[in-house]
Amino acid sequence: MRLFRSTFRVTGRLCTAFTLPVRIVPSFALDVGTAADQVSRRPCSASCLPRLGDAFQHEPLQTFLSKLEEAGPRIGGGGGSRLRLQELLLLVRRLRARERELRDLDGLMQTDESEDLRKLAEDEKVSCQEEMIKLKEQIISLLIPPDEADDSDLIMELTAGVGGQEAMLFTAEMFTMYERYAAYRNWNFEILEYFPSEQGGLRRAAASIAGLEAYKNLKYEGGVHRVQRVPKTEKQGRVHTSTMTVAILPQPNEINLKINPSDLRIETKKASGAGGQHVNTTDSAVRITHIPTGVVSECQQERSQLKNREKALKILHARLYSIKLEEETSRRENARKIQIGSKGRSEKIRTYNFPQGRITDHRIGFSLHDINRFMYGEELLHELIQCLKECADYESLIEVLSENAD
Amino acid sequence: MRSLPVSFSRILFNFLKPHAPIKIGPASKLHQSTLMKQRSSIELPMPTDLVSYWQGVFEAEGVPEAQTSIEYIVSYVLEAKTFQSLRAEHLSKPVTEQQLHQVEELSAWRLNRMPIQYVIGEWDFLDLTLIMRPPVFIPRPETEELVVLVIEEFQRKVKPGGAEHRDLAVAEASQCPMILEVGCGSGAISLSLLKKFPKVNSRVVAVDKEEAAVSLTRDNATRLQLQDRITILQHDILTNHNFLLRHNLVDIIVSNPPYIFKDDIASLAPEILSYEDPVALDGGEDGMQIIIGILSATPHLLKSYGDVFLEVDPRHPEMVAQWLQIHPDLDLSLIATHKDFCGKPRFLHLRKGKVPGSSARD
Repeated sequence: MRLFRSTFRVTGRLCTAFTLPVRIVPSFALDVGTAADQVSRRPCSASCLPRLGDAFQHEPLQTFLSKLEEAGPRIGGGGGSRLRLQELLLLVRRLRARERELRDLDGLMQTDESEDLRKLAEDEKVSCQEEMIKLKEQIISLLIPPDEADDSDLIMELTAGVGGQEAMLFTAEMFTMYERYAAYRNWNFEILEYFPSEQGGLRRAAASIAGLEAYKNLKYEGGVHRVQRVPKTEKQGRVHTSTMTVAILPQPNEINLKINPSDLRIETKKASGAGGQHVNTTDSAVRITHIPTGVVSECQQERSQLKNREKALKILHARLYSIKLEEETSRRENARKIQIGSKGRSEKIRTYNFPQGRITDHRIGFSLHDINRFMYGEELLHELIQCLKECADYESLIEVLSENAD
Repeated sequence: MRSLPVSFSRILFNFLKPHAPIKIGPASKLHQSTLMKQRSSIELPMPTDLVSYWQGVFEAEGVPEAQTSIEYIVSYVLEAKTFQSLRAEHLSKPVTEQQLHQVEELSAWRLNRMPIQYVIGEWDFLDLTLIMRPPVFIPRPETEELVVLVIEEFQRKVKPGGAEHRDLAVAEASQCPMILEVGCGSGAISLSLLKKFPKVNSRVVAVDKEEAAVSLTRDNATRLQLQDRITILQHDILTNHNFLLRHNLVDIIVSNPPYIFKDDIASLAPEILSYEDPVALDGGEDGMQIIIGILSATPHLLKSYGDVFLEVDPRHPEMVAQWLQIHPDLDLSLIATHKDFCGKPRFLHLRKGKVPGSSARD
């Protein structure tokens, strides 16, 4: 509980964004721990984190739902389209029916003397509760506004930060971790840029990741990752702190990003003289500059020049799109804890403490204790990502409710 | 002791030399064996050390693309496509003795100015990795654009409402085009077109007058499992075009014919002159010999409204346009001239049947 309060502060700014009385929000936050047993599908074990199901203890949600029940789908607003509200109403009514059923069952169990009947009622109650959990999840997923880019593929950029070779070594390990995670999730992972250091580290790399909900999951990985350990090169056995940065750029489609081909300068190793059959140049590196913004991308992963051009264009598009998205989101002042995009990129989000075998995500104050298994990029990383996703969903739910509160 | 002793490499290279135009020092079995013994005590080099060592050697010997060349060799030996795609873990450990030996062997060929594509025996063309074997012509990056052009034009044509769509028969045929490639070389154009037109009914007839080319195209087709949709024939388009009567007329003719002017041949780089078949390069006095041969054969080969795509020398578009004016009987129109990535007019798009108001564009 203490951990939660210190790391999941509801800022004053967020409170003022609420049209509700300010005190409601923190008091709700304190209630979270006690209500933790209601919806427990979340993989993370820390009971201090807010859970989506807990939102049902939250007055704004109940108020919103009652309003919806009274007014029907006409109420409109931030909840989304009319169709969505209709669907929502249907679910709320089903939830209310289950709630009544649960109360009846409780009553039955208190009054009924027969052991058999009590047992029957007990079973009924369990299945009723299970259904309520499902209904609540459905209601919440309808309430959370979808991110425009959620269905996109993405480009993940990794850059070594402070700490020289050690930072580069850690960057190489992180790259492998995400590559494995992509394999674990059955996503396609294609390297677009890869600049290793001579000691087996990685200065900078970019990979294109495509697959079901790839962006939706990986967007929470953007930010500064900090490593604490004794570097291989360290003689005195001192623990160093180094950093690396992950940036997650959604891959635009042709509709949400249009680039004028004449704005691009494509540089290749130009054949001198007549070109074509007259020469046999093998340097297939390609460098593309978007002249109006000066954004540059390059690729030499392939022996085919045209393939290098395709890959470089992919990176360039993603970089330009993320600039565009950031311009859009920076207009909407945002007080969320879990930041996506440029704000999140400079934020220290996670610490990898090797001597203690611990990984701590600072945004949700959550720690895991099997660092080697985590770095393997499978179920532990997956759990943490699911946890972040849920917390972020929770925050956006609160935001939606606050917008609908009046 | 990270890099190899120069003397050793020189001797080794000399010992292994495939051709013998460059003489450096004496090479004897005695040297070889003493050095082999020495080697077991040598610390094996890191990949980057190998690159900088051989880059120096190549530069000293005037081998062009010195760094790129050795990077391709080292990455090939380490089973990667480019040096930039080598993973950090590969770069941080020394090569094995066997890998070192392989790098030395391949570098020796490169010192003899063998094109890197022949040295490593393969190269990429668009999505395909093709076997490369001397003296069959090595596809140039410009030709990748020729293939893209064919595909884009085809898609435009098939699109409902496209200019040619009014003719149902034409539209139907172009769904599954029948393509002829003249001078297929390694098979790069034909095989990438087949890869891009996945429909079973789209077929390619690839011809080349050289046996080496025909057999390399066949090997590449088999390796890519495209052999069922390609007919490969050894044939000289200039002497006889009746061969196609057994097949039907085609929808598309595509070719990267030899187009170098005879006078320019002598000034080509040693890589090209000593290793690539001049038959694949020499276009006669004005570089037009095969181009004219293909265009003259179109009445026997090409359907009405069929397309011809050619890669040519930048001087050729003008010359072809003039030549067509004095050969109206061929009924060919120059639809467009497209530029390559260096901005040079490189690709010709012609069509059989008069296209009203058409003129060269781009």
